[in-house]
Amino acid sequence: MSTLERLQALLERDFQLAPPALVAEATLESLDIDSLRMIEILFSIEDEFKIAIPAEQAQIRERVKTLGDLAGYIDELISGPEREPA
Amino acid sequence: MKRVAITGLGVVSPLGNDPLHFFAALTVGRSAVRRLDGRFHERLVSGIGAPAAFDAAAHFPAPKVRMLDRVSQFALAAATQALADASGVFDGLDRRRAGVFVGTGMGGAETTDEGYYTLYAENSDRVKPFSVLLAMNNAPAAWIGLEHALEGPNLTFSTACSSSAVAIGEAARRIAAGEVDAMIAGGAEAPLNFGTLKAWDALRTLATEDPADPSASCKPFAKNRSGLVLGEGAAMVVLEDFERAKRRGARIHALIAGYGLTTDAAHITRPSIVGQASAMRRALEDAGLAPEAIGHINAHGTGTQANDGVETAAIKEVYGAHAYRIAVSSTKSMHGHLLGAAGALELVAAVLAMERQVVPPTAHLRQPDPECDLDYVAEGARPMPGLAAVASNSFAFGGTNAVLIACTPASR
Repeated sequence: MSTLERLQALLERDFQLAPPALVAEATLESLDIDSLRMIEILFSIEDEFKIAIPAEQAQIRERVKTLGDLAGYIDELISGPEREPA
Repeated sequence: MKRVAITGLGVVSPLGNDPLHFFAALTVGRSAVRRLDGRFHERLVSGIGAPAAFDAAAHFPAPKVRMLDRVSQFALAAATQALADASGVFDGLDRRRAGVFVGTGMGGAETTDEGYYTLYAENSDRVKPFSVLLAMNNAPAAWIGLEHALEGPNLTFSTACSSSAVAIGEAARRIAAGEVDAMIAGGAEAPLNFGTLKAWDALRTLATEDPADPSASCKPFAKNRSGLVLGEGAAMVVLEDFERAKRRGARIHALIAGYGLTTDAAHITRPSIVGQASAMRRALEDAGLAPEAIGHINAHGTGTQANDGVETAAIKEVYGAHAYRIAVSSTKSMHGHLLGAAGALELVAAVLAMERQVVPPTAHLRQPDPECDLDYVAEGARPMPGLAAVASNSFAFGGTNAVLIACTPASR
């Protein structure tokens, strides 16, 4: 199962989002994922993928616009944290 | 001052999740008190309580349930019922002239308890992301206001066991003063989690389990009373300007005739005859009623040694010889003590008693106490044709005494 598929399953199961809408290109806005819902989704993602998401939501929102972006972001965290220059 | 009508009732209680089932259980003297069997409950000294059979999933979709502490679930469900009962109350109304007043003693105590469990027992830092939103004391009122788009005052009252009587009394005041046209008012409480139960346990104020019949453990006004039993639930009423309710042809359950509010300012827990009596007297004055007009009192009647004797003495001080002719019931004997929701639930019981002309009994009162010598309707529900004015007493730790008087619409 790819990261996107696992993310889709999580959003359907815990957030009752309809599978046809959960395409990679779907924007968070189009899925009605507001800042409050996003907090809960990030919490669920941490549990599901056994990762820690240290970034603030504003930073995440900056680069994560779609579900595909979110899956890519999760993949990066799984493969190891980005090293910020000292 | 405008008169205030009650045009909607809603109940989530240990005795059923609507006013009909709740009152039917009261009149047959059925108790919801039982031994609790939740997590850690075997560690309680007094392991009894009155839980509500409430299935959140039947009322809300899963993502919504995660945003609602049990106390808010109760509050929302009761408010929805009350609004359905008051059908059309907001039609044509400026939403800024409608609001929500809710009383709660402990707010989202279950969320707080779960959070501490995660932190201290599981040694995990995975506290649920919405813990603040679930646990905050104003969550029940806020959700009701949100759900029904009510833009007027939205307040939460926390005066322990009189919280919801205060909420209803204050809401009635706002309508009487003409500041708003309609209000949802009441209370909600969900204290049956281990941490909260254990805190009450430690105060040594909870009833000892009746060895023969756990459901009979709460024995208000009885010689062998041993304390209170905690219950959970919510009760909400829709209050409305009486003239407006009449104009729109609403069914009017009763009028809020009087509200008395005083504070003992004497002791943090010990009840005071003076304080309780002055609240009852004020409510009568506010209603413009003679003591003889009151036919039924839904007593605070917690089943503690301290309360029941003091309340009896206070009733006698205010009502004089008429005290012995009043049907005084403690329905806590059956639904337990709902703390911040108690005043609202018991006002609903008193209003239904007046509508049906039947007063519920005080259950489990088999050993009379010479100190408690009023008519507590111990033998079972009693028909009272002509019952036209009732009072509901609510007293509290902290000393805030609130008394509500309701009367039939025809009597005003």
